[in-house]
Parts: sequence; structure tokens; C-alpha cells
Amino acid sequence: MTDTATATSATSARTSSTSAETNSSIVFDNVTKTYPGQSAKALDSLSIEVKSGELVCLVGPSGGGKTTALQLVNRLVDLSRGEIRIGDTNIMDLSPIELRRTIGYAIQQSGLFPHCTVAENIATVPSILKWDRKRIEERTKQLLELVGLTPVDAWLKRYPGQLSGGQQQRVGIARALAADPPVMLMDEPFGALDPITRMAVQDEFLEIHRAVGKTTLFVTHDIDEAIKMADRIAILKPGGLLAQYDTPAEVLANPADDFVAEFLGAERGLKRLALTTVAEVLGRSRARADDAESRRAPMSSPPEDRVDWPVVAGTMTLREALSLVSAAHSHGARVMDGDRHLGDVTLHELVCPPATAVDARGTAGVRS
Amino acid sequence: MDVVVGAFPFMVANLSLLLEKAGEHLLISLIPLLAAILIGVPVGVWLGHIHRGEFLAVSITNIGRALPSLALIAILIGMVGIGMLNAMIALFLLAFPPILSYAFQAVNSVDADLTRAARGMGLGSFQVLMKVELPLGLPMIISGIRTAAVLTVSSATIATIAGSGGLGDVILNQVAYGMEGVVAAALWVAVLAILIDQFFVLLLTLASPAGVKHLRRASVAV
Repeated sequence: MTDTATATSATSARTSSTSAETNSSIVFDNVTKTYPGQSAKALDSLSIEVKSGELVCLVGPSGGGKTTALQLVNRLVDLSRGEIRIGDTNIMDLSPIELRRTIGYAIQQSGLFPHCTVAENIATVPSILKWDRKRIEERTKQLLELVGLTPVDAWLKRYPGQLSGGQQQRVGIARALAADPPVMLMDEPFGALDPITRMAVQDEFLEIHRAVGKTTLFVTHDIDEAIKMADRIAILKPGGLLAQYDTPAEVLANPADDFVAEFLGAERGLKRLALTTVAEVLGRSRARADDAESRRAPMSSPPEDRVDWPVVAGTMTLREALSLVSAAHSHGARVMDGDRHLGDVTLHELVCPPATAVDARGTAGVRS
Repeated sequence: MDVVVGAFPFMVANLSLLLEKAGEHLLISLIPLLAAILIGVPVGVWLGHIHRGEFLAVSITNIGRALPSLALIAILIGMVGIGMLNAMIALFLLAFPPILSYAFQAVNSVDADLTRAARGMGLGSFQVLMKVELPLGLPMIISGIRTAAVLTVSSATIATIAGSGGLGDVILNQVAYGMEGVVAAALWVAVLAILIDQFFVLLLTLASPAGVKHLRRASVAV
């Protein structure tokens, strides 16, 4: 187990940095679940590994068993066959209650207790773990800050009914993180939010995830959410069969079968563009240009034919930049950082982004 | 109208009689009510907690509704004879169904997402009950008790035919007390029922944790 973690650490620096202390991977080993009285399997021989610190999204249509898979991990549902391990521990070796207290759990519409204040909700697990009062108080405040509900004192005494959907969801995340569990399970946590709030909470959660590095299993029916959030995506199809388990880029580029392709939708190509930022493309094309010792990015005033090109930021995704280019009827976009001109990206580069320096040369580590 | 007005001088003139009868009345209604609470609430809450026995709770309620209290008392006269015990058994059988079924519904209908979240976080079965189900179900549990209390106090009037005493003695004895007496005692029964009902409202307010009070205020505002 440790060997695998070190072996993979070369390719994913982010993962290895968090797994250094303890192994908190989640391993599904040939897991099958059949509900009593039902002939069809809810989950069929699922074998995946979620590495320490990784965020994996379980997606698929309803009936794909994604929520079942999640609830098997904290034993809200008991498995029929196979084995699930967290770190090196088989989940069946712990009592359900012991197990659950080491796993953060957040669900749709937050599942906050309406009769408890924000502070009481967040303190749910710490108080059953009998933390002393001072420690609970400090932890609560720290978490509210982490999820961006500041000034902290203004939120402690409110009730869930007095919060907006997005705020409730943030408290829900804080509550799941309260006892600092190494593993998080999230069941469509943002499913009930309006699109704008959902985007904001997704961004915040990604930031939190990067900061705290919990191994996270995240169920969603929204493929765009999965593409945005996940390090890797597990796509389940009806009958609980795993259709594909890979990075978002790989899933979009090479869907394993017709089901995955259909599930990703006709805009699959565009969705892929959302994985790359303008700055990355600029870097890659410049790297190539340097190699060829040819063109340089224009730094002074733009050539006449590029005056009308829309201005984009380096942090934008190719999909967003393409949208602006399309709206402006231009052949490319000018990349600006405030007043500073970083370079131009052409329509062709946006639609067919140059491969990474690594991919292009076929050798690793020459340039990053 | 004259009779109603005349009821008040009757109350003044026969205060000690009315007080004595009211005392009996409270005794024969509160003892079965308390017994019904002590058995009905725990059983209902437990069944609701394990989400079992919906059929039982509903059937008992329906039987309770369909059973005429007068018939019940008449049958019990045949079984346990005349007296207070007869009345109390009848009133217990009357009070038990609403208390049981409200308590069951109160806990059974707590949002399944909330109990799942609670269990998922590692709360034990009893902790889920104490931290989530009981606080959220409390208002409805008390509603059942209120319904039963009003039912018991008003029905205790009829219990007098089993010779149990109470304000029914006055109401059903127009020959001795006159129409004024009947109306006076009937008014007392009404007031007793209202007082008991309000007592449980007060109890709910006192017993509610802050968050439950907050929820009640919020639901009133909506």
C-alpha cells in the first residue's frame, strides 16, 4: 500500500504531499451490494482505489448505485460481498459508530438540524466525542473561518432556517470537517443550490479541499460538477457496473464505451476545453516557439488585425475564452493581466490546444 | 338565556359542591390521562424511532375514534362493575389512542435525511433519538396529549353513569339541581378542559429547548 503511494507521488505531487503522514486511501475491492428483496444488483463488483488526499467523483444516472457505494463506506448500508478498506483497515473491523466518527459526512440540502444553532450543528461530532468546551469553541470558529462565514460571531447563534442555501451548505461542510476526519463522504452536497451559488460553493470547496487534503468521495449526477471538481471520475451505469474510472481529461478524450460517451453528452469536446486555462495554452505555445526559435509573443501594441480581438484573462478556461471569441467574431483573443499584455491565443490554439511540452516531446521533465 | 344568567348565582350558592365535584372530575380524568401518557408516549416514540408498527398505531387510533365512550362505560359496568375504576378504565382507553398515534407520527415523520445525517456522523441510535427525533417531535407529542386531555375531561362527564362522581353528577341530575345547576356544571367542565389544554401549552413552552422554540416561532411567522 505504501509502495503504491510513493510510486504514484511522482506523477501527482498534490496527492503525495497529503498522504505523507497517514494512509487514508479508500479501496473498494470487488464490492457488490444487493438489497434484500431485489433481484438486480445495486452495485456490481466495484473495484476502485481513491488515493490519500484525492477527490473522486462518483457519477452516473439514477440506479447506478453511486449513493449506495458511498453509504457502504460509512456502513449506512451493509455490503453483500467484497471488501472496503480505509487506509489499511477493513471497515468491518470497526463498529459502525466508531467508523463513522472518523468519516466526515455531508449530504444534499445540508442535513443540518433545524433546531440547533450553527455552532451546535458544527459541534455535533466533537460533543459526542466529549471534547472539552473550549476546544469545541475554538474548532467551531476555526471552521467557520475556513468556509468563509465571517465575522464568525455573527453566525454562531443563527439557526439553519435563517441561512441561505449556500450558507447552509457551507455549515454542512464545516460540520463534516469538525472532528478532522481523514476521509470525507459527500452525497450530492450541492444538488439543491441554484447555479450561481453552486459555482461559488464548488470553488470554495475546491479551495478547502486543497487546503485540508481530505480523501474525498463525492457523489453527483452532474457531469460538469464532476469534471470541475474531481481528480478522477468513476462513472457507474445502471446495474451498478463501473463504466470507466479515470481523470476528467482522459474520460473526455477517450470515453470507454458508448454509454460513457452518451453520458458525457454531445458537448464532450467543449467540456474538455474547460479543463485547460488560457495561460496554460500560452505557456505551451511559447515553449514550442522557443524551441523553434521562431515567433515571439507580441509585447508592444497589437498588429492592426488584432485590435478587435477580445481581451481574456490567463485564468479563464479555453471554453470561456472561446465563447468570448465567438461572440466577437474574431480569430483569437488577447491575453491580459491587468494592463500587461501576456500574449495572444489564436482561434486554432483555443479549439485545438497544443499538447503539453511533456506530451509533445514524449519525454518527461524537460520543461514544465 | 335566563338559565345561563341564573347559572352564576348557582355557582356562588353552591361553590363548595362544585369544587368538590370538580375535584372528583379532575381525579377521574387526570389519573387515566397520566397513565395513557406514561404508556403511550414511550411506546409511540419507540415505534416511531424504529419505524415499525404504523399499522398498529393507525388501527388503535381508528378503533379509539369509532368507540363511543358511553358504550364503553356500559360494557365496563358489566365487566368491572360500578365505580371510579370503571370510569378510569374507560377514560384511559379513550385517551390512549391519540397519545400513542401522535407520538408515533411525531418521531416517525422526522425528515429521514436528518436522521441519516445524524447516523452517518456517528450518533448512536439513542443519541439520534435524544438529539434529533425527540426535540423535533416534541410539539407534535404534546399536541397528542392536548387532544387526549380535552377528550378525557369532557368525557369524564358521562362517566357519572358508572357512579364515579364528578361534575357529571350535577349535569345529569336536573331534577335535583335545576337547569341552572346543569348549565353551571357544564360551564365548569368547559373551563376545566380549556385550563388543562393551556397547561400543556405552557408545559410545551417550558420543556422546549431553545431551538425548538425558535422553530415554533418561525413556523408561526410563515
